[in-house]
Amino acid sequence: MAEELKNEEMEELLEEEDSQKGKFMTFQTGKEFFGISISYVNEIIAMQPIAAIPEVDDYIKGLINLRGKIIPVIDVRVRFKMEPSEYTDRTCIIVIDVNSTMIGLIVEKIAEVDTIADDSIVPPPSLGRKEHEHNKYVYGLARTGDAVKLLLDPEKLIRQEEIEAVMEDIRKED
Amino acid sequence: MAEEFNTESMLDMFLYESGQLLEKLEGIILEKQDADCFDDSDINEIFRVMHTIKGSSGVLMYENITKVTHKLEDVFYYLRESHPDDVPHMELVEKVLAVSDFVTGELDKLKNGDTPDGDEHQLVEDLDEFLGRLKGEIKKQGIQMPQANKHEEPKQFYITPVAGDDSHFYRISIHYRSDTQMSNIRAYSATYALKEVAEDLLYTPDDILSNEASGDVILAEGFHMLLQTKSSKEEVIALIDSSEAEEINFDELTKGEYGKALAEFGREDAVTIDLGEEDKAEEKDKKKDKPQPGDYVVKTKEAGKGKTLAKNQPKQQSIISVNVEKMDALMDLIGELVIAEAVVLQNPDLKVPGLELSNFQKASGQLSKITTELQEVIMSMRMMPLTNVFQKMKRIVFDVSRKLDKDIELEVIGENTEVDKNIIEHITDPLMHLVRNSVDHGIEENAEDRTTLGKPAKGKITLEAKNEGGKVYISVKDDGKGLNKEKLYQKAIDKGLIENKLISEFTDKEIFRFITLPGFSTKEEVTEYSGRGVGMDVVVKNIQSIGGRLDIESVEFEGSEMTLIIPLTLAIINGIVVQVGNSPFVIETASIKEFVRVGEDSLIHEPSGEEYIVLRGECYPFIRLNERYDLADSISNVEEGIVVVLEHEGSQVCVLIDKLLQEQEIVVKPIPPYVKKVKGLSGCTQLGDGSIALILDIAGLLIQDGERR
Repeated sequence: MAEELKNEEMEELLEEEDSQKGKFMTFQTGKEFFGISISYVNEIIAMQPIAAIPEVDDYIKGLINLRGKIIPVIDVRVRFKMEPSEYTDRTCIIVIDVNSTMIGLIVEKIAEVDTIADDSIVPPPSLGRKEHEHNKYVYGLARTGDAVKLLLDPEKLIRQEEIEAVMEDIRKED
Repeated sequence: MAEEFNTESMLDMFLYESGQLLEKLEGIILEKQDADCFDDSDINEIFRVMHTIKGSSGVLMYENITKVTHKLEDVFYYLRESHPDDVPHMELVEKVLAVSDFVTGELDKLKNGDTPDGDEHQLVEDLDEFLGRLKGEIKKQGIQMPQANKHEEPKQFYITPVAGDDSHFYRISIHYRSDTQMSNIRAYSATYALKEVAEDLLYTPDDILSNEASGDVILAEGFHMLLQTKSSKEEVIALIDSSEAEEINFDELTKGEYGKALAEFGREDAVTIDLGEEDKAEEKDKKKDKPQPGDYVVKTKEAGKGKTLAKNQPKQQSIISVNVEKMDALMDLIGELVIAEAVVLQNPDLKVPGLELSNFQKASGQLSKITTELQEVIMSMRMMPLTNVFQKMKRIVFDVSRKLDKDIELEVIGENTEVDKNIIEHITDPLMHLVRNSVDHGIEENAEDRTTLGKPAKGKITLEAKNEGGKVYISVKDDGKGLNKEKLYQKAIDKGLIENKLISEFTDKEIFRFITLPGFSTKEEVTEYSGRGVGMDVVVKNIQSIGGRLDIESVEFEGSEMTLIIPLTLAIINGIVVQVGNSPFVIETASIKEFVRVGEDSLIHEPSGEEYIVLRGECYPFIRLNERYDLADSISNVEEGIVVVLEHEGSQVCVLIDKLLQEQEIVVKPIPPYVKKVKGLSGCTQLGDGSIALILDIAGLLIQDGERR
């Protein structure tokens, strides 16, 4: 009896995972499309007033108040060294939750939720461009239809931030 | 799965309950540490505590806890049943504390997920030996049966039954009808009713509740009571339930007769209700403590005699424990509610001209009132009295002073001062350290050293808490040696902790502050309690981490006073919201000295670009927030903006802002760790309209300013 129950539970769990597996929230920034695994996405909210924080990297736009929770937001364009663009009605904040750290990503335009099969994801070509900044967060390229989507690894994105912050502190102390 | 969950919750319950019980136990013990013996209610209470812990630890199969508590329960069972005289009270106190420590230690292990593996053998043996000695002593006195001793103890109480001039004495005998059911219960309800008015009450048979056979005795011989009360005869008669009673004899006695009757009762196996004894203790305490009003001993005894009964019962405050996370969630929600309210009440849709809104305004006024109240309630929920922390300190003074063989009394003032729960967690350790220091280093080793200085032989430590101007002051004051400035200076120089300056170049406060330097310890030998030189700097660090500071005052040969000055709460500060450019900032009200408008002519420009402001002849450093934080659209002309003079620990700084927005109680939230720490900002908060404001950290601003110069 118990065994059966367990199996059922497992199946349910697997199913749930399945329903999220291979699904990516894609958004457009500039001409390029990016994708984030949907399991990281908490919600998508409309642009909000942002309280700026002084003396931080320019891509950290500031803090927003998400129903009493204060979370930082970063501008994806600025993060990827693109020219910042004006915020419009289409501009959204994707709230992602990576290991309990909540961060908002400001994106120009939400595209859609795409299902991308594992085998259509290829690692980004490395033509000796290791120093190229945004490659670090892009773990794969996916071709859907006629567009190529850059898949982001939020965990890396956040960890990288932390490392950078620590490094900066060390540099300052020196 | 399910089973596992159950054990878990049972363990939680066990830890929580036992923790509470032990705290209560320690409270009783320490309150009575100076008394000659425990009174009956204490003995019962301790017995009950031990019994409960024994039971629940047995269920969870923590054998060592069970054994130890069982032993102590035995001891108190014996005390309760036999009332032996000459109980070595101090030793008993120590034994109870030892058990309490043992169990606490084991509980801590459980809390950390370890197995409680403490060795109980020594403790059990000690207790066995102690109990043996107790019993032995009785035998030596030639009293074979403990039961025979039973009424010795009650008699003692009678030496001082507090009989006022207006006390009346009655002998009341009730004979119930022979067919009365449960006459013992009826008798009990009569005694219960009389307890309300009684100063003293004796009855026989005395075992009406525990012994069902007593019902028969009552039926046969009647139920007799001796009552001392301030109430009149009529009042007393009215209290007794006369249904089922065949006959009630009611004799008023004189004091002398009453005394005789008591003696008779004594011979007839009488036992008192604790009232008399409790009163005696109360009187004694009152006399002893009269010179120190506010002392904790007096405080707990303030209740009038009429309330003695209620007081005997364990103080059951109706308290439930709530997960702090839930409280925080509630607080967030209420914050949201306030914002939502603002959105509704200031909705632009309402601004249509010609709209009739008077009813709406009334209703919204009511709504605002409720939400404000709600906010106040949730904030007060986070506040807790310092009582528990202070109780721990009592314990430390007791332990350390006995180990070091110093005679020290502890006075506690203002233990009901309330502070935020988070703060309580942060100050316990530092405070403990300060108290230990006072006992160990502060108070002189020998009583002679004190008496030659004209001080009382008994050392005194005063623990005081008060709430002043948004800060809590907790001070530990001793009347001991005090700090020797030359010694401190020499030591600091020897250890290379300070620059080579003459002692005269330091102020007293600066010299006292040497003891907070890492690696400084004024005592030559390291003792068990303090003196490893890792103490004071840690204390200061802990206190600083919650935004407090340590103030040291001392006069040599007269004593020292260490004062912790800490914010009332970490979570809520009273702040002024100001605006610079488009960004709102919050400044803690307590650190604002004044707002001024100054003219261009009071600015001094240095060639390096630094600026100063001269106010009433004094020169202050000047910070333009807009430049410091690169804020656009802000006022840079001093004459248009407002200059805020801020103060932190004696140093001042002037800050230029655009305008003042409002004063508000704000809920401090940390800046998310993802954003690296910005100097000069201590957190952020949500304003009434839902926008976010950054909180200025004056200390950070000052440091940053200092670095730049």
